[in-house]
Amino acid sequence: MATLNPSSRAAGGRRRWRFNTAYLFVAPSVVLIAVFIAEPIVQSGWMSLHNWTIGGSDNPFTGLANYRALWHDSRFWNALRVTVIYTGAVTVGQVGLGLAIASRLRRTTWFSSLLRTAYFFPFVASLVVVGIVWKFLLDPQVGLVDGWLGGLGFSAPQWLQSTSLALPTVIAVGIWKNVGFTMIVLLAGMQQVPADLYEAAMLDGAGPWRRFTAVTLPALRPALLFTTLIATITGLQLFDLVFAMTGGGPVFSTESIVMYLYEKGFVEFQMGYASAIAWVLFVVILAVSAVQLRVARNRDGD
Amino acid sequence: MATSETLMHHGAAVDGHRRGHTPADKTTGPRNLARVAGRIGAALSWLVVVIGALAIVLPFVWMVGVAFRTNGDLYADPSRLWPQQWTLHGIRAVLDQLPFVRLLINTFVFAGGTTLLLLLFDSMTAFALARLRFRGRNVLFLLILATLMVPFQVTLVPVFLTIFHLGWLNSYQGLIIPRATSALGIFLLRQFFQQLPRELDEAARIDGAGNFTIYWRIILPNAKPVLATLFIIQFAALWNDFLWPLVISSQTQMQTLPAALTLFSSQSGVDHAALMAGAAISLAPLAIAFLLLQRYFVQGVATTGIK
Amino acid sequence: MKGSVINMRRSAACLGAALAAVTLTAGCGNNGVSTSSGGVVQLSMLTGFTGPDEPAYQALVAEFNKTHPDIHVTMTVEPWATVAQKLPASWATGAGPDLATPSSDPGSIFSYIKTNSVLPLDSAVGSADGKIDAGAFPSAVRDAFTVDGKLYAVPANMATLALYYNKDMFTAAGISNPPATQDDFVADAKKLTVSSGGTVSQYGLSLADNQTIQMWPILQWMNGGDIVDGHGCAVVNSAASVSALTKWSQLVIQNHISPIGQSGADADTLFASRKAAMEINGPWAAAGYKSAGINLGIAEVPVGPAGPITLASTVPLMIERNTPHAAQAEQFLAWYTGKTAQAQFSQSSGFPPARTDLGDAVAANPTVALFAKALPYAKLYLAGQPQATSIDTDVYIPMIQQIERGANVKSAADSAAQKINQLTGCKS
Repeated sequence: MATLNPSSRAAGGRRRWRFNTAYLFVAPSVVLIAVFIAEPIVQSGWMSLHNWTIGGSDNPFTGLANYRALWHDSRFWNALRVTVIYTGAVTVGQVGLGLAIASRLRRTTWFSSLLRTAYFFPFVASLVVVGIVWKFLLDPQVGLVDGWLGGLGFSAPQWLQSTSLALPTVIAVGIWKNVGFTMIVLLAGMQQVPADLYEAAMLDGAGPWRRFTAVTLPALRPALLFTTLIATITGLQLFDLVFAMTGGGPVFSTESIVMYLYEKGFVEFQMGYASAIAWVLFVVILAVSAVQLRVARNRDGD
Repeated sequence: MATSETLMHHGAAVDGHRRGHTPADKTTGPRNLARVAGRIGAALSWLVVVIGALAIVLPFVWMVGVAFRTNGDLYADPSRLWPQQWTLHGIRAVLDQLPFVRLLINTFVFAGGTTLLLLLFDSMTAFALARLRFRGRNVLFLLILATLMVPFQVTLVPVFLTIFHLGWLNSYQGLIIPRATSALGIFLLRQFFQQLPRELDEAARIDGAGNFTIYWRIILPNAKPVLATLFIIQFAALWNDFLWPLVISSQTQMQTLPAALTLFSSQSGVDHAALMAGAAISLAPLAIAFLLLQRYFVQGVATTGIK
Repeated sequence: MKGSVINMRRSAACLGAALAAVTLTAGCGNNGVSTSSGGVVQLSMLTGFTGPDEPAYQALVAEFNKTHPDIHVTMTVEPWATVAQKLPASWATGAGPDLATPSSDPGSIFSYIKTNSVLPLDSAVGSADGKIDAGAFPSAVRDAFTVDGKLYAVPANMATLALYYNKDMFTAAGISNPPATQDDFVADAKKLTVSSGGTVSQYGLSLADNQTIQMWPILQWMNGGDIVDGHGCAVVNSAASVSALTKWSQLVIQNHISPIGQSGADADTLFASRKAAMEINGPWAAAGYKSAGINLGIAEVPVGPAGPITLASTVPLMIERNTPHAAQAEQFLAWYTGKTAQAQFSQSSGFPPARTDLGDAVAANPTVALFAKALPYAKLYLAGQPQATSIDTDVYIPMIQQIERGANVKSAADSAAQKINQLTGCKS
């Protein structure tokens, strides 16, 4: 790449005054993103500076009042705490378990293929369906889980009714839903590690654990970054699962940021306030992703 | 945890094997022990993995069971996985109350149409980001990545207003066009395109090929597996989308099957058979397609470049 | 004007759709925006009646269409949550339905009035034929729908809550009649709770605290307590309220008369699966319980020291402010709330009529008569409170949930009262 051939350099020179067709290639996506994502988020930022109600005849400008109110809003801090706990637990659980299962199912036999299919299956179900099914599975009256626990002589825990158990239960279901996808992505990464690297490590006398840490893990770094990043971003946007399983209760113990935003915006119609919540969340996600990418890049630099 | 321990035990066993045994080796006993422990550990870890897989599948089996169970059967013994008294009442309730064929067609048009358009737009953008040079390329890529981080609920109202002003409510274009690009797709395709050898383009350029020819004749044909994978990921996501079709189309005639069924399920009250029948039916088409295609899918992910 | 532009666009959309896939012409009909074609005015109506009572509403609409050849009403049904998400934006843009029930919560009308989305009905009110006879509505409903002297909604339905009980369980416990007083209610709830070794096999009462029609306010009212008074000041921490909340939360926590943390659907399942002997519920629940094979009894809510009381529930039906067919929409509401329609609806749905002057017409059906009997004394939850939604979700529901889980009743009620006063602006 360091040596450009003359023709491409000439092309580079002409680019100053001739239209670059690259813009044609990005145009459709750029237009769609501008109209249906960028403009709306800017608009929502504008709303967050107002006491805004949908269709309201006057939406007075209030400056940063919504953000100041947010700072003193204990329900917001609770939602932020719930969201962060959920995201952290689900990301760690999903990537850790996904890695463990992937290394167990690495060799392709009919049996491991069957198990892979099983683990991956929840990927095709929507979060809402997953939420509905699990809500019924955990139902104290008609659910299978408490039915079996009862049969074993245990009393049924209040999975979704207890303020201390509800969030861990939602987290477990979140991991249950996503572990298969992580597993498949990591498995794909593992299968691309050249076999001779392992042979070389074996000749050096490295046992499987050493081979895992010295060969597999470094090779998996991009896949791990990708799965962690995706898990973090989707975790911070938690909504469907909570909406279907608990509605945010009991006593806000599972109320995520987006759930709270939804309540404020679409139940109480305070669009200005909801937009302020949205912007804070947007900034949080941006910051967390940037940190993750930076950490990954620094490690790569080693 | 379990896996790493078993790997370690297993490692010890391999070590012992390689060094071989001599009668004078004092550690023979412990080494044998280690080997046995390794075997047990491996068996245990397999057991855990198998139990895990059962825990993943059981809820779906139970769901299908409840869809065919009478309420009386369910109340009598919730710990039974499978019905004793069968009923088609749940399925019938779903089919009676929803224009099933129409919803199915809508879902295919929405999920299929959007995904195809999305693959086209995303691959074009990814091609430019990965293989072409233009001013603002890096900024554009970062901006596209940033859109991944916007929760959908944030933009819902402004997007609705835009679609209204375009006159696209209750229409296929209103459903499809706003969703026809995705940051995740652009990201994955860009990764993949960057890995393709530069010589491909260079050779074609020397033959006088323009950017479009390179994109259409060289890059895309090489990207078939990753495009197939992306198709499945996006198709599944759009198929399962709940809020979007509900907001854009106010009439049942323009809704998608999973959205309509989820609504139906959420309102079935104590009619558990109808509720689970709704959930099962909404899942069935994707589940069948997945089970038929899953082998290709795993291979496809392997080629996306997220290795 | 507005309608025709959108219709042109919609035909274009239909064309595109028809090209995209074959047999797809059916879905391009009218919804959301009113049209008139061939002299027939098309009105669209969005409601949340997805329950077993839906056919009764559809029958009423069909009857109207039959008797009014120049107007055609199309009723679309979606869950309340969906209606709540779509309606604000669609009404604000004028793309919404001509008529809608925005929420099952009567308090929701304030949001729509604030956003200028609702047509005031004053000019259409009157006792003459073809007018909306607001004078015949139960007064609690008329008051709740009247803001600054203007009527903004009519009751799309009217319900009161009664006590459902399982006759077999009463017989098994040796109780011959449903409880008539608060003391009997408490005693029966305890007696009907069956447990062995710490696990409860049968609950005396099935109480719900979230995603439900409110049950706890009735327990407070029965004892003379309330949540907010007529001046918007909190009374949830009054002596009568606190004593009621203490009594019932103790029954739940110590005597296990009801499971904790149930949603409305959970509570119904509990009763339907024969694991609870009593439940406070509305007329919509009766059919489901009967088909589940429950030997069902329905009685009036027991009477406490404060006299007979129960919860009334009504769904507001409103007209979009900018509809081009306001006259026809008002005509529909007048017919819908008229004597004939209400008598018919009451018979087919089992709901009491939304009028107080139909005593004879409902007497024939004892269940309907029972629910109708409570109309004069039934109260709406947080009636006339502009902040009703916030008080409900931010304050009252969490307070009940905390109390059920053992929080100190007095301090929970005090802090709830403080939050309510902040919301309503009461400076007491």
